[in-house]
Amino acid sequence: MSAQTTAIAAALRLHESDCRELRSGEVVADVLLPDLNTTADAIVGELRGRLISLFATDERTQRDRFVVHHLWSLPGSKTFLRVTAPVDPHDLAFPSIAARHPAANWFEREVMDFFGLRPEGHPNPERVSLHDDWPEGVRPLRKDFDPKTVVPRVTGEFHPFRPVTGEGVFQVPVGPVHAGIIEPGHFRFGVAGEPVLYLQLRLFYVHKGTEKRFERLPWTHGVYLAQSISGDTSVGHALAYCHAIERLADIQVPDRAAALRVVLLELERLYNHIADIGALATDVAFTVAASRAQTQREGLLRLNEQLFGTRLLRQTIAIGGVRCDLASTGRDVLLAHLRRLEHDFDDLITLLIDSGSFTDRVDATGILTNQAARDLGIVGIAARASGIDEDMRRDHPHDGYGRLQFEVSVEEGGDVRARLMVRAREVEQLFKILAQVLDTLPQTQVLGRLPSQLPPSSSALGWVEAWRGPCVHWVATDESGHLSRVKITDPSFVNWPGLVHAVPGNIIPDFPVINKSFNLSYSGNDR
Amino acid sequence: MFRIIVDSLKAGIVTEKRPFDRRPPFGFPVIDFTRCTACEECARVCPTGAIYATAHAPDQRTLGLTYARCIQCQECVAGCPEHAVSAGNDIEVTAFTREQLERSALFDINPSTGRCTFRAMEPDARPTVDESAARLRERIQGQLGRSLHVRQVDAGSCNGCELEIAATTNPVFDLERFGVHFVASPRHADVLLVTGPVTRNMEIALRRTYDATPEPRVVVAVGACGCSGGLFGEGTYASIGGVDRVVPVDVYIPGCPPRPQAILNGLLVAMGVRAARAMPGPPHRATSTGDS
Repeated sequence: MSAQTTAIAAALRLHESDCRELRSGEVVADVLLPDLNTTADAIVGELRGRLISLFATDERTQRDRFVVHHLWSLPGSKTFLRVTAPVDPHDLAFPSIAARHPAANWFEREVMDFFGLRPEGHPNPERVSLHDDWPEGVRPLRKDFDPKTVVPRVTGEFHPFRPVTGEGVFQVPVGPVHAGIIEPGHFRFGVAGEPVLYLQLRLFYVHKGTEKRFERLPWTHGVYLAQSISGDTSVGHALAYCHAIERLADIQVPDRAAALRVVLLELERLYNHIADIGALATDVAFTVAASRAQTQREGLLRLNEQLFGTRLLRQTIAIGGVRCDLASTGRDVLLAHLRRLEHDFDDLITLLIDSGSFTDRVDATGILTNQAARDLGIVGIAARASGIDEDMRRDHPHDGYGRLQFEVSVEEGGDVRARLMVRAREVEQLFKILAQVLDTLPQTQVLGRLPSQLPPSSSALGWVEAWRGPCVHWVATDESGHLSRVKITDPSFVNWPGLVHAVPGNIIPDFPVINKSFNLSYSGNDR
Repeated sequence: MFRIIVDSLKAGIVTEKRPFDRRPPFGFPVIDFTRCTACEECARVCPTGAIYATAHAPDQRTLGLTYARCIQCQECVAGCPEHAVSAGNDIEVTAFTREQLERSALFDINPSTGRCTFRAMEPDARPTVDESAARLRERIQGQLGRSLHVRQVDAGSCNGCELEIAATTNPVFDLERFGVHFVASPRHADVLLVTGPVTRNMEIALRRTYDATPEPRVVVAVGACGCSGGLFGEGTYASIGGVDRVVPVDVYIPGCPPRPQAILNGLLVAMGVRAARAMPGPPHRATSTGDS
């Protein structure tokens, strides 16, 4: 037992046999249901842990139980701690930690929807992912639920929107089909004239049964499904899935592949950050800046196509390495493009922040306070823009990041401007990261050796700091080594409640720009 | 302000004159059935079931490929032991029915060795692409001129298709120069550009959007998922599948995601301005696929 694990066991007042190190950076603590809340308090209080995921597994056939898993990041010790507790399949209740740890709110309700487990003491135990027209008793992630089940529609309203009362106070419904070329979701604003009193969300319109789908796929094909979890984060999710499989089966990734994965992940960050900055300009009707950003982004997508044969960097990540290599001529093309872009990008940011009509719209708009961000467990760009200094590339280094020099960009404002500036600073850092990686590309193979099958009855965690925030995949296998559970945590799922807190007090015409400054994925959230 | 104008003048025109001439390094795979031995290796490695093999009789087997399901992952190109699958670079594939995106061949199985030899291609789908194009032209005759108002509907996509649809509006592709314009309401639209797979939770919204669109309301399905359900499958508890499972589809644009010029091409096919090709051509520049 490592010193790390001993320290965790001591902090949680657990017997050392209940706390074990699965592999480097991954510790599991087995507790009983009544201890979940005190354990969570100790993790936050003594280990400075942050909840990054919460999910369930159905182990009724093997051990006659469900299991609830709380996944915590302990950034100080570069460790992930998974706390597990068995749930009685005849009672189905588990204690909720959401009242004291609001980050658990949606996660526990999702466990309720998909497994039929009951979070006792949850402040708002309503459906979050199943729509009102789903009948009671449909539990899609239970093992005995056939994915081909035709689910009938029922009428009735289980989860009404909060009513508004008072003179001149009314509701504005928006969606699911929006006016632009974006994903579907429903927003319900309560407004008094222009100012927004509150925002309620109804998402999961694009729930595709992705986690269930993984359970029927060969593990080698999982990477294709992973890259379609959220199309703008193909590399991030594919990489998180591959990390989990590689850790599960102890697959060695060659150094060159690890370096190229950094290149791919940073190129994905680059095209998305520039697109978002352009979209912020679009939403405040600054078309010159928007056109420039769109042109820069298109240039990058064409560069991707030229170098790797794919615009959105699909099919580049493989289990055990990468599917594409970068020849020295390609490296030179990339470096030359980045040098030009660095200059153009700098001009774009100057154009934006020197324009009073732009900064008027983004300064002090859509503020997410540091306290709210901490309470809600906000991650990624949105967290760093609210003064939370966290980045998995530094705190839990994956791929080649441990050897690279870079700064984590943190802003204090929590407003649209701060989220813009975090992106701008990250792009500046990213040029430095890419220069370092491309300068010292190791000369090795790009694909490691794969086993013919995965080890049976095991599990592993994969994580990536993708452009929007951390993508975390937890993968488990059954007795014959097939995928039995893939839990996907997209940063959007964690961050949507942040938007709900950032919008009230602003006016409706500022909603698009606030929404865009978060730019959350519906598909990643809904899966 | 002065600097903005100077910089914009310096940037010049970034719009590409001939967007359809670009050939990416990889588009859709092309099977040379005459070299194929129907060993089914490609079907085994295909993650979406775009390539499939079926046996009708003990001595006969069919091997087919449908571009409606293809996500262009190239596993079949790498996996074919006979080098019969080549990495095509054609991407502007568009059809009017799902069947038009499918090709299959019949093979004889040698009873002693188990090896298959090519016998014949199975007949092409009817109606043919030309017949369908004529039918669509007739339906929209006189109602749509040379401008097209498009309402995009994401009925379940991973947002990859949305990224590429949005890219058609950027200054480089600038689809408005072709008379195509994205509108905010289905009531203003001639065309619904729908991505999928259609989820159970989007089915009603898609139907209502369709009902709100005035005739002749052309429906264009985009992407492997919009054409067939793709990796998410059809008829699962959450994914209904291809757009045609919910509303009638006039034009299919396969790909994962289709590149912006393929989407643009598909919209111009719907307008009757460009001719449709449902089968990708062979690689434009000869790519080595083995010994030939």
